[in-house]
Amino acid sequence: VAGIELPHKQWPELIGSLLSNAHQLPAPTRQATLETLGYICEEVSPDVVEQDHVNKILTAVVQGMNSTEENNDVRLAAIQALYNALGFAQANFSNDMERDYIMRIVCEATLSPEIKIRRAAFECLVAISSTYYEKLAPYIQDIFAITAKAVKEDEEPVALQAIEFWSSICDEEIDILEEYGGEFSGDSDVPCSYFIKHALPFLVPMLLETLLKQEEDQDQDEGAWNIAMAGGTCLGLVARTVGDDIVPLVMPFIEENITKPDWRQREAATYAFGSILEGPSPEKLVPLVNMALSFMLNALTKDPNNHVKDTTAWTLGRMFEFLHGSALDTPIINQGNCQQIITVLLHSMKDVPNVAEKACGALYFLAQGYEDAGSASSPLTPFFQEIVQALLTVTHREDTGESRLRTAAYEALNEVVRCSNDDTAPMVAQLVTVIMMELHQTLENQKVSSDDRQNELQGLLCGCLQVIIQKLGSADPTKHHLMQYADQIMGLFLRVFASRSATAHEEAMLAIGALAYATGAEFAKYMQEFYRYLELGLQNFEDYQVCAITVGVVGDVSRALEEKILPYCDGIMTQLLKDLSSNQLHRSVKPPIFSCFGDIALAIGENFEKYLLYAMPMLQSAAELSAHTAGADDDMTEYTNTLRNGILEAYSGIFQGFKGSPKTQLLMPYAPHVLQFLDSLYLEKDMDDVVTKTAIGVLGDLADTLGGAAGPLIQQSVSSKDFLKECLSSDDHLIKESAEWAKLTLSRAISLPSY
Amino acid sequence: MAPHDLRRPFKRPLISDQERRRQQSLLRQAQNRLDAQRQARFLASTAFSLSSQT
Repeated sequence: VAGIELPHKQWPELIGSLLSNAHQLPAPTRQATLETLGYICEEVSPDVVEQDHVNKILTAVVQGMNSTEENNDVRLAAIQALYNALGFAQANFSNDMERDYIMRIVCEATLSPEIKIRRAAFECLVAISSTYYEKLAPYIQDIFAITAKAVKEDEEPVALQAIEFWSSICDEEIDILEEYGGEFSGDSDVPCSYFIKHALPFLVPMLLETLLKQEEDQDQDEGAWNIAMAGGTCLGLVARTVGDDIVPLVMPFIEENITKPDWRQREAATYAFGSILEGPSPEKLVPLVNMALSFMLNALTKDPNNHVKDTTAWTLGRMFEFLHGSALDTPIINQGNCQQIITVLLHSMKDVPNVAEKACGALYFLAQGYEDAGSASSPLTPFFQEIVQALLTVTHREDTGESRLRTAAYEALNEVVRCSNDDTAPMVAQLVTVIMMELHQTLENQKVSSDDRQNELQGLLCGCLQVIIQKLGSADPTKHHLMQYADQIMGLFLRVFASRSATAHEEAMLAIGALAYATGAEFAKYMQEFYRYLELGLQNFEDYQVCAITVGVVGDVSRALEEKILPYCDGIMTQLLKDLSSNQLHRSVKPPIFSCFGDIALAIGENFEKYLLYAMPMLQSAAELSAHTAGADDDMTEYTNTLRNGILEAYSGIFQGFKGSPKTQLLMPYAPHVLQFLDSLYLEKDMDDVVTKTAIGVLGDLADTLGGAAGPLIQQSVSSKDFLKECLSSDDHLIKESAEWAKLTLSRAISLPSY
Repeated sequence: MAPHDLRRPFKRPLISDQERRRQQSLLRQAQNRLDAQRQARFLASTAFSLSSQT
């Protein structure tokens, strides 16, 4: 109730009366009060609670957390309330004394005899590490001491939080260094405290210790999360944070343990190696990987332990992901070892499901490394058939159970197809029939019984067909391989819509979009049957991803059919307009809907006339809303720019669609607003490059379509002068290209007489 | 105020292949839209240059 009323200032006395409870004697009352304050802080935005109340809440909470509080339930409720109140405490964390006091109380709570309190206190430290990273310096040494003790000695739930603290610090520093990296030469300019770099000599040994605490069968349990997993994940983040510096600290551990008789030591050493493969430079890693590669290939074949094999296959995948590809100077894969790598991976695909899954993952990255090989013969070409066959065999294994093996095999198959070249196109075309057969089979099975696994498989098969369609459809020489199956493929996709799985629908819809693009105008023959699913997709507010993808497919179909889409436009436009007016539909779908207006308008030209009366006011009010972003956070600014781009793409399509028609004057009444929108965007100075490019293009489209009639209006706009001038001298070639277009059409519009 | 789930992706790629397919479709659609727009503008530019020659 407070969540609803406080933002409207309708319950001003609430916090005061709750706080008066905080001093009540009965512990349950104090506990309930602190819990309520915690819930309020969780629900309500910080800006609706006055600073005076925030101070009082924090005082009550910190008092409740103090070690003098004898009741553990009250203390726990207080810590959990602090966790939720952290977002309110900006002012308090800026005050040295208040911050020192809060930090002392939180650190003391990590030493409580009660495990729930210790865990909640570490949870607070994790939250503080991300919310108040820049304030942590005075406390970091003490925090290292208490986290190290917890990782070493405490029970698992507490130790996991202690590791998470360091992972969270890594997240912060990775973000900071990514944002500022390269731009500043002097360290003092970067708001990074380099906590990880300074803690490295102590942090790395602590994390390496955790790697030896694996659980039996942890790789077979999908939901498993334990100290070894958290430690290795943190080690990976540390490697990304500090780069090369981690390597000498980890190598001795690897060398010491990798050949030990105890599987835990071999697995920990392998996991440590795999974890540090992202972050350090190729110069540092490639020599090590070259030495380790054949050892790993041997271990994957011969190690008696499944955990070791699992981690070895994963580590091979990481080697290929980060150290193999055209961007690297020294290839780790060459003619000498390529065949052995493939043989070992294909062999491992017959291993137990968790190992086979990681082998598929490794193959995924092996293929990805050849993505940019272009038409040059890929080293995988000679093995293409063998690889595809092995992956298909994996998809048929009956022991996949609940594991991700089948998904991993299809994902690898997709990547092998994506990265294939012209030499293997006929083999990819053969794959179409195989995958179609599989999809047909699942649809037949569904008549007897439908279950989640069946739906999941349909999704995977549609995904695979989508990748194949996109691959073969992207160039004329390979397209004919595909076209012979287009009718059958489409028939299967339409049958997938009979299932109830949103994922399968989404995958089928994506694949149909790719097929529409590949088939072009001939797609018209599928429309009558497909239309009802298109409409259902546009109505699917609940699974908004399906709705978003369907909107994109409407664009694909519009471009493919051009004016042949006209008979379906009344239905589509009605639904799109309903979607825009809906409060239920996720906001992320709205910008693509506007872009879709542009796609339709460009396809049907002046026939868009009858939708102008409905579409234009929608565009106009969205434009007004999106023109100003003052005070918005980064997410909102990003969304606003996406929205602006959608609106501008709609205008662009509409103007271009009407170009040359006798009905262009119908657009004249909207021109002042469009120009005003462009001016306000320019004056606001917060457009991203994509919006800038689309905006200046719209100016050109407007001038092109309306010509001299709009000349005087255009001349009055700032966009036609300063904005255009800025865009013409832009470094971004797309902005420049659009600006050249605008310059050309403007010169013509302005020189022509107005009627 | 249940304890927060700590699990991070373990031995898994950060982006699923499904997510990649979605992103690639969006990229293709954006590229196709750009191409359609360019074609419309190119036709208009060609008409300009033809008319200015005559």
